Amino acid sequence: MSAAPTTEKIRPWAVVAGREIKVKLTDKNFIISTLFTLVLIAVIFAVQAFFASQASESKVAVVDDDGAAIVASAQVLVETDDADAVLEPVSVDSVEAGKTAVTEGEVDAVLFQEEGVWTLGADGFPATDVLGPIEATIQSQVLSTNATEAGTTLDALSAGSEVVTEDVSGADSDEQLVIFIAGLAFAVLFYIASLMFGMSIATSVIEEKQSRIVEIITAAIPTSQLLAGKVLGNTVLAFAQMVLLVGVSLIGITFSDYDTFLPMVTEPLLWYLPFFIVGFIALACIWAAAGAMGSRTEDLQTTTMPLTLTLVGLFLLALNLDGTAASIASYFPVMSTFMMPLRILEGDVTWWQPLLALLITIGFSWLTIRLGARIYRRGLLQTQGKLGFKEALSGS
Amino acid sequence: MLDVNGITRTYGEHRAVDNVTFDVPEGHMVGFVGANGAGKTTTMRMIMGVLAPDDGQVFWQGEPITPAARARFGYMPEERGLYPKQPVLDQLVFLARLHGVDAGAAKARATDLLERFGLGERTSEKVEKLSLGNQQRAQIIASVLGDPLALILDEPFSGLDPAAVDQMSELLREHTARGVPVLFSSHQLDLVDRLCDSIVVLHQGKVVARGTSRELRQAGPLRYRVVLGGDAGWVRAVSDVEVIDLDGNTAIFQPGDEQSAQRVLAEAVQRGTVSDFSPVIPTLSEIYREVSA
Repeated sequence: MSAAPTTEKIRPWAVVAGREIKVKLTDKNFIISTLFTLVLIAVIFAVQAFFASQASESKVAVVDDDGAAIVASAQVLVETDDADAVLEPVSVDSVEAGKTAVTEGEVDAVLFQEEGVWTLGADGFPATDVLGPIEATIQSQVLSTNATEAGTTLDALSAGSEVVTEDVSGADSDEQLVIFIAGLAFAVLFYIASLMFGMSIATSVIEEKQSRIVEIITAAIPTSQLLAGKVLGNTVLAFAQMVLLVGVSLIGITFSDYDTFLPMVTEPLLWYLPFFIVGFIALACIWAAAGAMGSRTEDLQTTTMPLTLTLVGLFLLALNLDGTAASIASYFPVMSTFMMPLRILEGDVTWWQPLLALLITIGFSWLTIRLGARIYRRGLLQTQGKLGFKEALSGS
Repeated sequence: MLDVNGITRTYGEHRAVDNVTFDVPEGHMVGFVGANGAGKTTTMRMIMGVLAPDDGQVFWQGEPITPAARARFGYMPEERGLYPKQPVLDQLVFLARLHGVDAGAAKARATDLLERFGLGERTSEKVEKLSLGNQQRAQIIASVLGDPLALILDEPFSGLDPAAVDQMSELLREHTARGVPVLFSSHQLDLVDRLCDSIVVLHQGKVVARGTSRELRQAGPLRYRVVLGGDAGWVRAVSDVEVIDLDGNTAIFQPGDEQSAQRVLAEAVQRGTVSDFSPVIPTLSEIYREVSA
């Protein structure tokens, strides 16, 4: 009898996981779609950064010192809003010359006074970042002059006329925007990853059934090792891809005006990672079971349908929940993956709440792993037709 | 030694394998024959643990077989297949590693065997690009890569050309020479006769005959052929003799015992020329037809 050929400790699940990863990483479609997503994210940030860096610089043609003074005063107003913005007066000889300069694109607008009426001429309707400050300047100057003539002051005239706005939610709008975008990103990333890699688990299971290689594999290693290898391999891939996308997005954010919000996103993001892994694993075994229930690739659509619909349903539901319903949903397995980090971001949870949600998901995973593994074992060697749910769950 | 002891498997009302018992001694090649649906595949699946027997047990080296021992068996299932879209060498290495061979050794061995069977140039080709015969070769290579303790091969020669059959039987002989027991099923009875040390015939789930090819033949009914100078019709009248076939001067008969045969010979000599008188050794196909009738 020949000697054992090996010194390697057999860890079949690791060998299976390694194959899953290798096959995926050498799959052209996978590489292209990942690169495409990365490029898309980079482009979004680049476009955003490009527009943010565009300082508004407008030239206004003026025919006399009065006009020049108004533009200069308007410049002061503009600067208080955006330090980089510039409103520059350009002296021209006549109104006609100013209008010509506008049509030829040398200036953005021409400002002149005829018969006591100030006119701002532009090619079309004047841009709001030119019209706004100039109009405000003229109004206050004219009002001020009229007030003096009437023996009073502008301040006395306008006293009590100002309306102050207040956001009663207590949050500022940029913060709301960050929460909205982060929440959407948490949900979409998980939704896409579990759908994409879940489908890839189901496909690889059915491929093994269809090519009958499964019989060679299950004769060599226990079914549980095969299932564990598949689930872990795909979890690693899904997690790595998510980290890559999030990483590129975070780098993108540091180049944008929103970089001040990074510290606020850090804690929810750190919670999102374990939620992502546990949530993914909770579904992975069910995907494997869905694969094992068919016998040809064409069967996949039918056997994965309930799972796909549930995912879409949870995703849409999560987007439309708020208040108490959202709080409850944040403990619900799978939904908690993106609802709980969102609540952490909103800042209305204490430390034990995410922990509890995570534990509930781990408990739920334990159930789905057992259920999934059972259907998987049952379906694996059934090579004719589809397996019904009833059939899949009965027997050993 | 692999010892199959009374295994039984029932599907609903149908008893696919019924109390099957046989053994595959060390270094022996055992042929497993039987019609389609006789229960060969089900029996092999139960040996490999892919299916659980309803009754009976499989023993390896005298002990009930363990998953660890099975993991070191080489197996080629009837419904064969490899990953269609993965390069052939990659998946041979993958399968060998599942049997516990480390990656380097697996690669070296798979490359050697692929070269030996004329696939050395095509190691990085996807399996689906190979011809069926070459896929079959790869499949057999897959079963021996783990340096198996035993080989269980379901129809390993189907679809192979005669040259490939010779290559593959040579490979199997190398294993039996090292003491590895080999069990394979086949419909090619001449091949089974040529290669195997012993044969197990399965019919409707039951073992209907087993032993060496010589034992099976001897166990068959004793028959003689006699060729005379004149017409052989008189043989019919001899008592305790049943004529199986009669054609002019030639008769094939089955005597009740050796003495009755001698009586036929004596009478034939008395009647004239006897140009041939010999026992008829049945071919394996004839035996097979008889036991599975």
